[in-house]
Amino acid sequence: MNKLLVDVKLKLKKRPKFPLEAENITPDKFAGKPAAEIMKLTIYHGNEEKKIRDFFDVSGNGGEVNDTKIIIDGDLSNVKRIGEKMTGGEIIINSNVGMHVGNNMSGGKILVNGNADDWAGAMLKGGELEITGNAGHYVGAAYRGFWKGMENGIIKVKGKIGNEALSWANGSKPSKRFPKLICGGAGSFLGVHSHGGTIIVEGDCDRCIGADQVRGTIIVKGKISRILPSYKKLGQVKEIELMNGEIIEGKFTEYSGDHSVEKNHSKIDKKTGKISNSSNGRLFVAA
Amino acid sequence: MAVKNIKTVTDVICPFCGTLCDDLEVDIDTKEQKVIEVRNGCQIGTKKYFASNPSGHRYDKPLIKDNSSYKEVSWDVAIDKAANILVKAKRPLLYGFSSTECDAQGKGVELAEMLGGILDNTASVCHGPSLLAIQDVGAPTSTLGEYKNRADLVVFWGSNPVHAHPRHLGRYSDFVRGYFRKDGTNDRFIVVVDPRNTNTAQLADMHIQVNPNEDYELLNAIRATLRGVELDGDVISGVPKNKVIELVNALKTCKFGVIFFGMGLTQTLSHHRNIDAAICLVRELNDHTKFLLTPMRGHYNVTGANQVFSWQTGYSYSIDFSKGYPRYNPGEFSSVDVLIRDEIDASLIVASDPASNFPAAAVKNMFKHPLITIEPHHTPTSVNSDIILPPAIAGIECEGTAYRMDGVPLRLRKVKEAPGECLTDKEIIEKLIDAVKKKKGE
Repeated sequence: MNKLLVDVKLKLKKRPKFPLEAENITPDKFAGKPAAEIMKLTIYHGNEEKKIRDFFDVSGNGGEVNDTKIIIDGDLSNVKRIGEKMTGGEIIINSNVGMHVGNNMSGGKILVNGNADDWAGAMLKGGELEITGNAGHYVGAAYRGFWKGMENGIIKVKGKIGNEALSWANGSKPSKRFPKLICGGAGSFLGVHSHGGTIIVEGDCDRCIGADQVRGTIIVKGKISRILPSYKKLGQVKEIELMNGEIIEGKFTEYSGDHSVEKNHSKIDKKTGKISNSSNGRLFVAA
Repeated sequence: MAVKNIKTVTDVICPFCGTLCDDLEVDIDTKEQKVIEVRNGCQIGTKKYFASNPSGHRYDKPLIKDNSSYKEVSWDVAIDKAANILVKAKRPLLYGFSSTECDAQGKGVELAEMLGGILDNTASVCHGPSLLAIQDVGAPTSTLGEYKNRADLVVFWGSNPVHAHPRHLGRYSDFVRGYFRKDGTNDRFIVVVDPRNTNTAQLADMHIQVNPNEDYELLNAIRATLRGVELDGDVISGVPKNKVIELVNALKTCKFGVIFFGMGLTQTLSHHRNIDAAICLVRELNDHTKFLLTPMRGHYNVTGANQVFSWQTGYSYSIDFSKGYPRYNPGEFSSVDVLIRDEIDASLIVASDPASNFPAAAVKNMFKHPLITIEPHHTPTSVNSDIILPPAIAGIECEGTAYRMDGVPLRLRKVKEAPGECLTDKEIIEKLIDAVKKKKGE
């Protein structure tokens, strides 16, 4: 089967005045629909219910979910929720994109050739989100009030990200869920309340990294502006084993924490006063 | 014989700050419907009563902007014009509600839902971060009477009640004699955490002078010390380590402690994470003793706005009705953010003054679009609006319910008549709802 046949191309006609709520732009919703039907899918503009055709030129037909590839052009910086809850397929966005791109997705791939706004990949459950520019705050974070954030999958951001990325990340070794974030630099409160997230920062970070981290690994290859007082310095390491078994080499200073959290797995032994070896809350900073 | 015209109203609830003092006595000149004396109130509360008297600063008729001046119109014309603006708008913002009573707030929710607009209250620029933290980690709290009768350790973190809630110390938290604290202030240990040497700090038994914007690190260090961790650093956020240990000992050994926190914690760097850490600290302190916390709410009924919005929509502020059902996301639907991104096309401001509190960029965008205010006084917001609808001041000129900072509802009293053609906030919003219904053909 010719792969081109299952590509759906969207082009934004004009930047909308109000943000567009485009949760219907996903391979799941496009699957099995010809262009004429895709055009009729709902999209919200302010308090009005509109159709995709009112804002986009559509060409190409959707195939099976996993074979559907959506390519979107035009200035999408005001278009929210692209790829929400998608389970497969692929989306390529050739522009900056608005909030909530790929939130709650559980499979497939999204590539953003530009910057993403806040909440990119929030509460990801699987799949891959790649952003070639910068991303806003709350990358891969839990929505307000949720105690379980990103559960699995990977987010790659080439540039910098904002604050509170991967908050409440919820990884688990026994059930093989490894939420992972790789970024070029980060703001403050990276991995706050993390329960097993893996974060690799190629550049520098702001303050309060790993605040309230219960389990998880944060690796910073640059500098941190201020390390939290509740983190304890353990010493130097030459290689780091991630939760999923990957090895990262390099000279790092290891810290354990956050020791202000009651349920932290990196407990301090009451008898010996030492940090137990089963320490799971870890922070590595390039030495 | 002016004396004959004087009526004294007792047990009046003061509609100024979240403390909602309920023992005011107000003398009214019944002939002229003027406040002539207020007893028991603090400076700011008393001023609010006097400001309700008719004056050049008070609106008494609906006004519509005509070129650069205002012209007086009838209620029907003003409501019709306001409804036209709201019905035409694709993304209207309804903001304020914290200085009015709960019925009007409920009507505000109804109007916002009907319009498919954004509904927000002043919590989004004051204690919104507290609400976010409470949604994340819960909150152990209590009524103010408990603190009055039991608290022997009171922490004021980033709040300055001497100036912002002047009677709080005397009624609930410091000087007052309680059932188990018979000697008032001598039975209590007061801790103030503030970068400045405020007047509250001068009253305190211990003043922790934390560096500005480093509260999170200090809370974090306190929590770690509480768990028996030896800290690596010697000075944390400008506070020596031994002082942190001293504070932790004080917190652990009290019989009943409370943290009152204000804007110094919610609106400095790290916002809701500060409160998150403070709540976690209180939770962990309950392993050692009894500890609670309460936000020092500013507007007298901002707690009520949060209560009413939560009860009717499920969310306490930053609510978007554009899809017909309520959605919540501060940062996305909070008023300052939508204004800065210029995502709205009309606004209705009820009982608040965003123009003097919001960032300039947000205010500029607000003034770009049609603006309707329901506001009794000349304010930077009202003098720039297109339509001004004059209300009676809730708690002075009309009855209603307000929630105290600890979530206790109290019935506001009416002490005098409103000047001119003023209607209550509730009546005005009801009129708007009827007009909008008609225009939408419902």
